[in-house]
Amino acid sequence: MLITQLKTKDSILSLTDGKKVFIINCFGCREVYFPLEEAAGLQGEMNDSGMVTGILTTDYICNPENLELQLESHKEAIDAADVVLVFSCGVGVQTVAARLEEKTVCAGCDTCRLPGFQGVTPLEYDCGQCGECYLNLTGGICPITACSKSLVNGQCGGAKNGKCEVDPNMECGWERIYRRLEKIGRLDAMKCPVQIRNFATDKEVQ
Amino acid sequence: MSFRFIQMLFELLYHSQGGEHLEDYTKYRLKSADELAPILAGTDHLFVIACNKCFKEFTTTEEPDCAAFEKMAAEQGKTITGSMKVDFLCNKTQTVRKLKDMIPEGTEGVCVVSCGLGIQTIADMMVENGGPDSRPIPVFAAADSLNYTGHHGMALTKKSCDACAQCYLNITGGICPIIDCSKSLVNGQCGGAKNGKCEVDPEKDCAWEKIYRRLEKQGRLEEFLNQPVQLRDYSKVNFKFVNDYVKSVRENRLDGYYGGVHPLERKEATERLELQRFPEPQVVAIPLSMHAGAPANPVVAVGDSVKVGQKIGESAGFISSPVHSSVSGTVIAIETRGHATRGTCPAVVIQSDGKNTLDASIQPHKPLEELTPEEIIDIVKEAGIVGMGGAGFPTSVKLKPAKPVDTILLNGCECEPLLTADHRVMLEFADDVIYGLRAIVKTVGAERGLIVIEDNKQDAIELMKEKVAAYDNLDVVVAKTKYPQGAEKMLIKRVLKRQVPSGGLPADVGCVVSNISTTKAISDAIQKGMPLIERVVTVTGERLKHPGNFIVKIGTNTKDLIDYCGGADSENEITYKAGGPMMGFTLTDLNVPIMKGSNGIICVDTEHSKEQPCIKCGRCVDVCPMELSPLYFAKYADEENWLAMKEKNVMDCVECRSCEYICSSKIPLVAKIKAGKAAVRGMK
Amino acid sequence: MKITEKFEQGEFVVTAEVGPPKGCHIEHLLEEAKTYLSDITAVNVTDNQSSVMRLGSLATCKALKDEGLTPIFQITCRDRNRIALQSDLLSAAMFGIENLLLLTGDHTKLGDHPQAKPVFDLDSVSLIHTVTQLEAGVDLGGNALVGEPPKFAKGAVVSPCSDSVDAQLAKMEHKVRAGADYFQTQAVYEPEKFIKFMEKASQFGKPVQLGIVIPKSAGMAKYMNDNVAGIHVPQEMLDELRADKEKTKAGITGVEIAARIIKECKPYCQGVHIMALGWESKIPALLQQAGLR
Repeated sequence: MLITQLKTKDSILSLTDGKKVFIINCFGCREVYFPLEEAAGLQGEMNDSGMVTGILTTDYICNPENLELQLESHKEAIDAADVVLVFSCGVGVQTVAARLEEKTVCAGCDTCRLPGFQGVTPLEYDCGQCGECYLNLTGGICPITACSKSLVNGQCGGAKNGKCEVDPNMECGWERIYRRLEKIGRLDAMKCPVQIRNFATDKEVQ
Repeated sequence: MSFRFIQMLFELLYHSQGGEHLEDYTKYRLKSADELAPILAGTDHLFVIACNKCFKEFTTTEEPDCAAFEKMAAEQGKTITGSMKVDFLCNKTQTVRKLKDMIPEGTEGVCVVSCGLGIQTIADMMVENGGPDSRPIPVFAAADSLNYTGHHGMALTKKSCDACAQCYLNITGGICPIIDCSKSLVNGQCGGAKNGKCEVDPEKDCAWEKIYRRLEKQGRLEEFLNQPVQLRDYSKVNFKFVNDYVKSVRENRLDGYYGGVHPLERKEATERLELQRFPEPQVVAIPLSMHAGAPANPVVAVGDSVKVGQKIGESAGFISSPVHSSVSGTVIAIETRGHATRGTCPAVVIQSDGKNTLDASIQPHKPLEELTPEEIIDIVKEAGIVGMGGAGFPTSVKLKPAKPVDTILLNGCECEPLLTADHRVMLEFADDVIYGLRAIVKTVGAERGLIVIEDNKQDAIELMKEKVAAYDNLDVVVAKTKYPQGAEKMLIKRVLKRQVPSGGLPADVGCVVSNISTTKAISDAIQKGMPLIERVVTVTGERLKHPGNFIVKIGTNTKDLIDYCGGADSENEITYKAGGPMMGFTLTDLNVPIMKGSNGIICVDTEHSKEQPCIKCGRCVDVCPMELSPLYFAKYADEENWLAMKEKNVMDCVECRSCEYICSSKIPLVAKIKAGKAAVRGMK
Repeated sequence: MKITEKFEQGEFVVTAEVGPPKGCHIEHLLEEAKTYLSDITAVNVTDNQSSVMRLGSLATCKALKDEGLTPIFQITCRDRNRIALQSDLLSAAMFGIENLLLLTGDHTKLGDHPQAKPVFDLDSVSLIHTVTQLEAGVDLGGNALVGEPPKFAKGAVVSPCSDSVDAQLAKMEHKVRAGADYFQTQAVYEPEKFIKFMEKASQFGKPVQLGIVIPKSAGMAKYMNDNVAGIHVPQEMLDELRADKEKTKAGITGVEIAARIIKECKPYCQGVHIMALGWESKIPALLQQAGLR
């Protein structure tokens, strides 16, 4: 799952300075965070300057077939623009850029990740897709995503009052794991051999 | 066109155009026996849960099963106490329900074949289920989640995004250097490419060569070379922001009842516009069927003169309703006319004399205090009052529930986007609405009446609170906005936390739900003796020139309303719907009459979309307020497998369209569900 | 000389730490080390402590060794992947640096380059394991080393006064099994907690050095209480530091407190590790008061 944040106003305006712009908004995947109001405000200002040739607001622009249909119905306005400015996640921008290869296609948003990368909408669970599931050793709490440092052999010792040294809003993943193991009577799992991560699993899914 | 044909057509389209981009993001594989043996040592009785994979082309035949794991476990001398295959294991609410009482006594371990999300879900569930003393059943991960680079979109394309929080696409011509370059370089190529291929993977094009070519083509190389040196910033992710957001999404999704969506409300155009009486129509065409059940039998003939409120069609059964003339004038035809929801329907066409002479039968009844429940039911029946929220179920039948009822819920949610008819009725006919509610409470013998209003209608909430203050047994309940809150089963769950059983009615859980306009009509029937001959209609939509809320006579032509409101403001393709954008019916011909259930007419941009293969993203399951699995309905409808649809409880679907709204593949789910329902009904 | 030899001889081992400067001039550090630390067993050199970029630990270790001191090379997993870590370990061996302290390292966000990519390819436990492998003549990729493998005294850290002592012990056990030879602890201000911890930790049979940070002021103590993991300065000590500001400022109070803690804990541990944080000059006085000189 992804989350989009507006780039700074200055950086967006520098992309479109003095140029005719066509704007595409993707409502993300409906339930994924999209800064609707901020984007509308900024686009309103741009529209007032008379440089906007058209605005297309739709959803799922990452779907090439449906994007195609939307772009068709706005062909003239797109042709009239120098720059196509896309407010969406990175996948959406790339899909538009691939379809409009001759045009300068720009991103109005930065994309961050959300937990729960697949399946249903954002989740409190997260999976780092590490390819070597550690959940057997950790009582079902993922050390890759629950620990800031993705440590797999226990806590780093940096937690204060149970909170992570990186972010005081985040519980120490390993303290959670320890409590869980204690609760389910599986503290012996901590006595497993030294774990060393394997970062070389990419190829297997290609 | 049969579904089989549509399916063929669609396969043709898919294979000829879209086929090459569909990636299979199947994401886990079974751990090896060597790895599992020590972990499972001493745990001999295992229950196996496998997740049917997601983010892949959805087929109903080739889901993975538990067999490979069971075989491995058997080789190690384990006993399998049971196994289960579940869709979207990470959907906790549904998984909890599906797993209830499934794991037999004596199970020592639960092995989960799924990605990390599913395993964590089960692990948490087991801990939560275990009481303070009883030790939870251990959960084992039987699979490894595979990694692939970045996050794919909702179309399973090869393009993906690493969510780096500092998008570089502006300087790279829209090709992502983070994902496409093996080293995620941001200042140009590393020099390791050979013949344009990456040094890490000879199958892969060098991203930076692609970027150069793209920029060259666009004449942007100079611009690129003038960029300052790029430095990655790995510090941007704000844990609190992200986590608060995730929490709020989950809370909203489960708030009050499972599922639902939050479409844009789009009510700004009309919510503050006072009701106007729509100009007198010259001709009305009053359909003999504006209700559930049998059409009314006409009791007038061509050439007859009729008066306002005169009965022109007689109820034709227990589930039926009479209809009345909304004008005074002459019957000029009784013929088949266009109908917004059924295509065509016999209608009584009346030429108005413009005088609006009342029928002699229009006389106020006794005050509410003096009427018996039976008398009220008769008045309501004779006034032709049916559910005005759209379904058109005869209200008199609702008022004679087969089971004791303690609560009347007055549905002031109007969760459908764009529509403001009920909202305006609450504001401008508050006293009538209260009167009608009191009549229902009295008729049914309920203890209390609750007016449920969504929190986006503060003015109505305040006014209604003021009005109910005088009555001990009436109250206002404010509900957080969420679609489809107005569906009665959702409303009951939200307000009373009661679950209407599958195939059941609100009365089964002790309540009756009534629509705002219907309730006002009950008041009119008692206080004025006026049958249901007019209603409030919101005429709106982004493409309509002059939106408004109108009091319209039943039988008025829809096209007259659109014309009166200035028509569409665009020459582009326009879609008109009877009802709102979610549950409304698309109108191919505007020459259809306004009916008892017509709460709105909308005029919006046509949405261009093309049905794509289901990618099993699970969103429809996540939003279905009835906790169904709509993706199966689409699949089974295409296969014309009606029995399977029935088994997946298609008859419980309330047709709220949340699934279709959220569907990334733009599958017309509701049409397929309706076809399935019709077929299932035919099976009986 | 490996400090493990000293433990084996039954010596109460004293070590102290120095932090390399942000710059390439090391004369001052060497001068201070020679003046105040020449009679202790070994000197730890921190590795970009608190994720603040500084002169390298390995180079500083080499410079100290050239001056006749025994360095302990601190190495964290924050900035290097397994290739760089193993390479630096071999470099250390080549320089004759025999003592290591192997840590996970603070997160990059805590330091002066919060934008940096945190590595954490390995962690403290797997790093200890890696060193054990190298000592057996094999690298982490399973490839044989050429020639005689290196031999180190492998140090690790533990936090005895942490909120979750059991989790600390579990981790300590993990480190012991991975091959840790000795432990240095996080700063201790609560001797009774330390003693309780040692009762349990002694089962592993590895020498433990008591960690000491000389408290410089009540403000510093409070800061540590609020921000530093595994440290809690009790109220009485805070009061003591507040009582006579001049005395505290001169370092007298801090040294008194530290000496008291050392004396109390000495019977339960095998050495002391002093983190002076710029007050290296106070170390001789501290050792004297603690009865170690």
